[in-house]
Amino acid sequence: MIHAVLIFNTSGVARLTKFYTPLRQSAETLVQKIFALVSSRSATLCNFLDAPELESFLSQSSDDGDKLRVVYRNYATLYFVFIVDSVESELGILDLIQVFVESLDRAFENVCELDLVFHFDEAHHILSEIIQGGLVLETNVEEIDSAVQEAAKARKESFASANPLSLGSSGVGGRGSGIQTPLGWLTTKLTGVSAR
Amino acid sequence: MWERTLQDLIRGLRANKKDEAKFIAQAVDEIRQEIRSKDMELKAGAVLKLTYLDMLGYDMSWASFHVVEVMSSPRIHLKSVGYLGASQSFDQDTDVLMLTTNLLKKDLTSKAEDVAVALNGFAQIVTPDLARDLAQDVIKMLTHSRAQIRKRAVLALFKVLVKYPEATPHAMTRLRERLEDSDPGVVSATVNVLCELARRNPQDYLSLAPQLFHLMTTSSNNWMLIKIIKLFGTLTPHEPRLVKKLQPPISDLISTTPAISLLYECVHTCIIGGMLQGTTGNALARTCVTKLANFLQDTDQNLKYIALLALVKIVPTHPYLVAEYQDMIMSSINDQDISIRMRALDLISAMANRDNLQSIVQQLLSHLVRNESAPLPSAVQSLAQHTTSAPASTRLVNAPSQSPAYRLILAQRILALCSQGMYENVTDFEWYLSVLVDLAYIASADIGGEIRDQLVDVAARVRGARRYAVQLMVKLLCDDTFLMHAGEEGSCAEVLWAAAWICGEYCGELAEPQKLLTYLLQPKVLSLSSDIIAVYLQAAIKVFGSWTAELADRWDDDDLPKVRNTVDTVVERASEFASNSDIEVQERAANILQLLTFVRADLNVFRPKVEVGFEYDEPEASGFGEEASAEPRFPKSLCLVRPLFDAYELNPVAAVAQESVPVPEGLDLNAWVVPPPKEDVTPLQEAEPTGETKPKKLKKGKGKDTGAKGKGKKRKDTEDTGDTLIESVETAEDKAERERRKAERLERLRDDPYYLVDDRAARPKIQQDDLDSIPVVRLDDLPPLPTGSAGNSRLPSLRSTPRTATPPSYMVDRVGEMPANARPATPLQEPTPQSLSTVSAGNGAVSAPLPSFPVYEVEDDIPRTGTPSPIKVVRAKKKSKKAGSSNGKKRTTDSTSTQ
Repeated sequence: MIHAVLIFNTSGVARLTKFYTPLRQSAETLVQKIFALVSSRSATLCNFLDAPELESFLSQSSDDGDKLRVVYRNYATLYFVFIVDSVESELGILDLIQVFVESLDRAFENVCELDLVFHFDEAHHILSEIIQGGLVLETNVEEIDSAVQEAAKARKESFASANPLSLGSSGVGGRGSGIQTPLGWLTTKLTGVSAR
Repeated sequence: MWERTLQDLIRGLRANKKDEAKFIAQAVDEIRQEIRSKDMELKAGAVLKLTYLDMLGYDMSWASFHVVEVMSSPRIHLKSVGYLGASQSFDQDTDVLMLTTNLLKKDLTSKAEDVAVALNGFAQIVTPDLARDLAQDVIKMLTHSRAQIRKRAVLALFKVLVKYPEATPHAMTRLRERLEDSDPGVVSATVNVLCELARRNPQDYLSLAPQLFHLMTTSSNNWMLIKIIKLFGTLTPHEPRLVKKLQPPISDLISTTPAISLLYECVHTCIIGGMLQGTTGNALARTCVTKLANFLQDTDQNLKYIALLALVKIVPTHPYLVAEYQDMIMSSINDQDISIRMRALDLISAMANRDNLQSIVQQLLSHLVRNESAPLPSAVQSLAQHTTSAPASTRLVNAPSQSPAYRLILAQRILALCSQGMYENVTDFEWYLSVLVDLAYIASADIGGEIRDQLVDVAARVRGARRYAVQLMVKLLCDDTFLMHAGEEGSCAEVLWAAAWICGEYCGELAEPQKLLTYLLQPKVLSLSSDIIAVYLQAAIKVFGSWTAELADRWDDDDLPKVRNTVDTVVERASEFASNSDIEVQERAANILQLLTFVRADLNVFRPKVEVGFEYDEPEASGFGEEASAEPRFPKSLCLVRPLFDAYELNPVAAVAQESVPVPEGLDLNAWVVPPPKEDVTPLQEAEPTGETKPKKLKKGKGKDTGAKGKGKKRKDTEDTGDTLIESVETAEDKAERERRKAERLERLRDDPYYLVDDRAARPKIQQDDLDSIPVVRLDDLPPLPTGSAGNSRLPSLRSTPRTATPPSYMVDRVGEMPANARPATPLQEPTPQSLSTVSAGNGAVSAPLPSFPVYEVEDDIPRTGTPSPIKVVRAKKKSKKAGSSNGKKRTTDSTSTQ
């Protein structure tokens, strides 16, 4: 299963952290540790993070002696890191990260780091349409997108009915007040998801 | 409404980067106000802000009740905020979780959106209690009209079953139906869940195989296929018949699928599912390895990585297939990517055997070495770097080996590779010893302790390599620069411990003992840690003892000044140590001082006997009580020290030696050592069990006594010896008395309600008829021992010829020493089928005579004979590598601390 999903930027600031199993160390130190290791890796290296410094952490899932694996991908200013165990396919998770990013991109229309900063709740909602409790819920981007929109619509209607005077965009849910995407950062978007 | 929204909070955070803590403290204060508000919108806003701060590392557990309040809001946009807050911040011990049971029950029967949010949140926060109470509700959702909900319910059910396995029987039938769901997403989710569940106990899911097999052959969804294939990988080891059925479709997939991830999973499942046995299996294995080798050559680093992962798993069954690609794998160790290096290391370790060990280790060592020179690039290199200004490539190659953690792993790997299976892959121990020393020099990692243990272990177990070991260790001890850097981090100073110990223990092999003494006692030693100094001192006295004894053998009166000088220096040096702050160092130095003061006194009164007639000038110090005519020509004190140390040989102790010591009759191990004060017995009586344990400890040593020279004293400190001697001369009367007292006490205790009396008969006698099972192999076709070495435990001559291409065969004392009256071995010690390093007659040049090998008879009370005994290779599986190596340092009599 998937044990954690982390998103942090190239300066190591966490943008989204989701732990599906309880951690044995503080989330911040883990993010920092992984960030330190990941950020020093050049783009040509593989997407699996395996380092002596992580050994103690990775071998902690003592269920059957199988080690955890850190799979990461770098998009513009953000690192997407999945921590998974041996039941997940390594290459499959790489694709899943791509699916996640595409879903974010659809929901935010050219997603950028600022979108995740200001709508971290929305990012969580999108993630929850892909992974639930550490297991993969859906991998089809279309399905995910429609589920995300449906849920967002329900929240919006609920909000509108509770705040009849509001102009629809402020409040707890929904897309924020016109934060544009100055970076248009999904330039390294990979093509051919299902090719591997 | 001036309250800040989440967006305001984030903007504020960004604007106040310099004073974040203050800003957040202020924000949290506001949140504390808002969260208590009656306005649900405001409350939810506060929870959302808290959730954000939680991600940044600020505690929000104090607000968990408010989170539940927001969860219970009927409005979905607020409810989802509540659930998000809960799933981010609650853990298994959050007490308000018990309040959520009814809330969840209600939400699960509500609108579809609510159910989705509730299921998602439930999957995150579920506890055993929640799982028990809500199992039925979740199972009901499995047949919800919307596929979206069914999917979520399936995944939530997994969490229920993990936390509350009792629900499994009922849930399984319902879950099974989902495999035939009309929605492919639900089927996929179900396979997902089954995959997780089957990993926990595969047997229970074998019955699903037909359905899964059908799905596998009909579906084209790669995501799901991967999971099904993985699922079969866990099932097949428990149902061999599946292998036959699966082989054709999987081979098919391997050759047809365009998706590399699926291809990889097929290969992986073949390997872990045991599908590579038999003739068809072998063909499949070849295909798999070829595919993986292709991955290995791919430019995509990810494929390289996973190929290494899978190859590690195929090595145990098909080593020869993997060996074909050894060069390619070797080159992966040089990869600039540390992830790939780590996996390649794993693979290389799995591939190591007698033939390739040396080259592998050499290569690994070179990684550590290359680094050493990296900080000092040659002039040409640095010049080139300046001109081209593209040094990145050269530096990158070295980058991973710079990391201290990686160096440590590498060093540990080298040690583990060589020592695995009790050195079964090491053919040349002189090589291994030099590797160990090299490692100590170049590792710059915290590995000294492990190298030390290996050095001592090898020196103790491999007789043939001792001479070389001593030579190496002398070099190490004489190396001033090594000593100088000993205080630095990663200097492996612990190796000096081993060096001193080996030189001391096998001081007979020393070429110039006297010279070594000055190194062992030089003042610079004080910079080492105290346990090493203690060993240095002990080694010094051992070396001194052996040197003087040898001098005595070939005494020449001209030696006298030399001896006097040396004694003076040693005394002088030792007195410096005698005031050391460490008690161990102090005591040993004091011991040396006392011994040497005695020797010096003897030397001072010694008069060289020029003529027989001078015998009247008998020195008064002849306290040995010997006949005047038998008076030796040398100062008798020269032979004082050595017998203290060399009376017994130190042998590695077998892992099971301790437990095979039969419990002496009359010893009750369950008796109180110090009885509780309630018992009204005199202190004298209370002390008795303590006394009882002592003879038992001694027993081991005594068993060996019988065979050794009688004059030898115990290799213990003198006080200790005196103590134990008294203990050991327990007369028959004492014993009877003790038995009587014991019976008395037992009688008293019988009616005491505070004691449980063991009424069973005494421990059954140990079976003695199982001697055949003790794995002793007699090798008959060995070259005869040279008669010259009779009675001499050392190698008679130094090998002066240069090392030949074919290394000599070494005897490794794999099993270690067993006590003389050992109980029959436990079944754990099956003789291993692997062929041992049987001794082949070395090539003429390397005619190192085989040392007499101590024979450990298992028959009771047969003393070890002093004559050279036929060589026996004692084959038995040692219990564990670790136990073996630590045993190597142990005195056969007692702990190491007495050395």
